[in-house]
Amino acid sequence: MPPELSDPADALAAVAALRRLADQLEEAAVEQAMRDGWSWPEVAEALGITRQAVHKKHAKRLIEAGVSLRRR
Amino acid sequence: MAAIDHYLNSVIEQARLAAFDDGSATLEAHHLLLGIAVAGENAELIAAGLGHDQIRAALQGEFEHSLQTVGVSAAAYRLPKPTRVGDPPTTLGASAKLAFDRAFSWARRKKDLRPVHLLLGILQAEIGTVPRALALAGFDRAALIARFSGDAA
Repeated sequence: MPPELSDPADALAAVAALRRLADQLEEAAVEQAMRDGWSWPEVAEALGITRQAVHKKHAKRLIEAGVSLRRR
Repeated sequence: MAAIDHYLNSVIEQARLAAFDDGSATLEAHHLLLGIAVAGENAELIAAGLGHDQIRAALQGEFEHSLQTVGVSAAAYRLPKPTRVGDPPTTLGASAKLAFDRAFSWARRKKDLRPVHLLLGILQAEIGTVPRALALAGFDRAALIARFSGDAA
């Protein structure tokens, strides 16, 4: 049995750190997928969010980074 | 523009770069602390063992420690670093707003605000990334506050 996380300060800090890690992982993974030729709908489906949401969050950055994006 | 405005501008500029590098959408208190370490009047900070590299190491230690408490290792995967383009964030996050609120409470009027007040505003947070990072890295936050508040009166 893993130890119980009894200190709320640790638990709350873990939430903040996990969010930050998830954001960093998402940025890197979406960029990697788009460089590998994935489409927006495929990336969106893999993340479980809408195509509009993933496009809004990442398109500008990837275009400026020079990633050639598939239109569909 | 008053000297304090120039000072705050340069700290905020450096904090924006730190937030950008982090992939953060907002400027937080720990970014301001890094900003002070780069751009600020930081001789006292360095004398207290809080140079830029030490602060960065303490923040990374807090991040890794917090992930470890739920069994996640930040070093367990390797992905290419995402490309960062565009403009660094300008929005102050909740922890940075609180740091400024506390800084202004040290000064009776805005024109009395001095660099050390912002540092104290950041160090006075009892909860959050900065106090956890300092504690985990072995810094005595109360002693730091006592040390710097002598300069703030």
